[in-house]
Amino acid sequence: MSTSPLPETVTVTIDGTPSQAWAGQSVTAALVTAGIWPLRRNPVNGQLRGPFCGMGVCLECEVTINGRPGSRSCTAHVTDGMDIRTHTEPLPTAAHG
Amino acid sequence: MADVMAESEADVAVVGGGPSGLHAALVLARGGLSVVLLDESDTLGGQYYKRRAEQLTAAFGDFRPRGTELIRQVRAAGVDCRTGTLVWGAEDAGRTLFTSDVHTGALGRMSTRATLAATGAYERSLPFPGWTLPGVVTPGFALHLATMDRVPVGSRVVLAGTGPFLLPVACALLEVGVRIEALVELNHPYRPSASVVGGALRQPARLAEAARYLLTLARHGVRVEQGARVLAAYGDTQVTAVDIAGADGSVRRVETDALCVGFGFRPSTELPRLLGCRTQADPTGTEQLPVVDGDGATSVDGLYVAGDCAGIAGVHAAGVRGQLAAHAILRRLAPEPAPMRVAGLRRRARALNRFAALADRLYPLPAMADIPDDTQVCRCEGVSAGQIRQAAATGWNDLHGTKAATRAGMGPCQGRECGHIVAALAGRGEAESFAARMPVRPLPMTATVEGQEVP
Repeated sequence: MSTSPLPETVTVTIDGTPSQAWAGQSVTAALVTAGIWPLRRNPVNGQLRGPFCGMGVCLECEVTINGRPGSRSCTAHVTDGMDIRTHTEPLPTAAHG
Repeated sequence: MADVMAESEADVAVVGGGPSGLHAALVLARGGLSVVLLDESDTLGGQYYKRRAEQLTAAFGDFRPRGTELIRQVRAAGVDCRTGTLVWGAEDAGRTLFTSDVHTGALGRMSTRATLAATGAYERSLPFPGWTLPGVVTPGFALHLATMDRVPVGSRVVLAGTGPFLLPVACALLEVGVRIEALVELNHPYRPSASVVGGALRQPARLAEAARYLLTLARHGVRVEQGARVLAAYGDTQVTAVDIAGADGSVRRVETDALCVGFGFRPSTELPRLLGCRTQADPTGTEQLPVVDGDGATSVDGLYVAGDCAGIAGVHAAGVRGQLAAHAILRRLAPEPAPMRVAGLRRRARALNRFAALADRLYPLPAMADIPDDTQVCRCEGVSAGQIRQAAATGWNDLHGTKAATRAGMGPCQGRECGHIVAALAGRGEAESFAARMPVRPLPMTATVEGQEVP
């Protein structure tokens, strides 16, 4: 591969914890690098869900990015200072079992 | 943000900026037509020519430079490239397209004289117990992480399913340092019988490609386990172990950080189906494909399809089909159509179609009847195979009734992940698809509120 230096490292915040990523990486890549797989709860049965298709089809990887909820992390790209919030807290009441 | 739809027009709209759409747009623009190329993604290239971010390209080099060159030519030819633009609806035989800016939600309406759907494909998943666990992903997701982001999907990974796509994914994972715990291929494609090899010999380049991947895997000590399958995935908050059934029927448990499972690709046909084009069952019998002539013309006058949207055949066929459709549109619309030699392209398209048919024979899908009753089929609505079977057995004996009775396919992915499975479980033998309806992709609420004029 290329002998160029590694890409610029930026700091993102995942659920309040600072984390390093390369500028331009997908937000999903930043989450996977940080070891964070569960991103949300299925609203129907409360199951934990994480990124699945990686191409914007399944919507399982939705997180809140810079305050905007329902952002697909697989199609969003990391920028310096980005604030990423997952939503894995248990649902108040599961709709049904 | 605009309060009303922004209006625009062009001779031709090409929907989808992947290999097929790019090749088509280039031919159309060089032929003298005004062309708008629309893609939901922020960059052109589609999945195959997906762009590495600038900063990563500078450090790791260009991924698939042929895509870079093709995109450069398309821009230089004067194609109006509208990335970050979702086409969520269409009417009037595709001469009116409804769009939305994926960032602002701003709505648009585009008028055209012809439309080419080059909307590509997405991966085919099949459910098994544990497939909704975080860490269970498609092979394509693992590939994008490895190639675009240079991130391994896990340190130890199990890769499974069926299809030629598993091989390049395995090689890409090795390149970012993944340890492949098992490479599990449902079929026996790499010891093909003499009758299927005959077809492959007419496509030596494609055979050599597979051989190169197999060689790389062998060098890393990765064996393709043929005739084997993943039975179930286990884990608490994410996948930690996988049960694999070998060809001899033995079952073993493998610890893993990630499980990638895929069964080939499904054409993304919502747009042509929305416009009412005639369809027929695809070779797997689980999809409805637009019926097209040799140039990609559909039964809807002025609507063309090209690339994997017309049936899965891969990147080389996508380029050829895109060019053929573009030439057909030029013959129809160009003020002074230059005489084009398309016989060579048509020959190449036929050869590539034969090769695709060979792949269909080498990598058949497993029987849906094997999906256990308590396995979730619809990920979004949490509907199990048993619930779907029960609904089908108690009078909702067709796809649409079953959807209404169970909510399977009614979640945010709009049945893109489960539609083919629900159809197989609830259908009456013939291939069916959920109806394509507007919006064909999810729209943010702001778009419908601020647009005011949504039909």
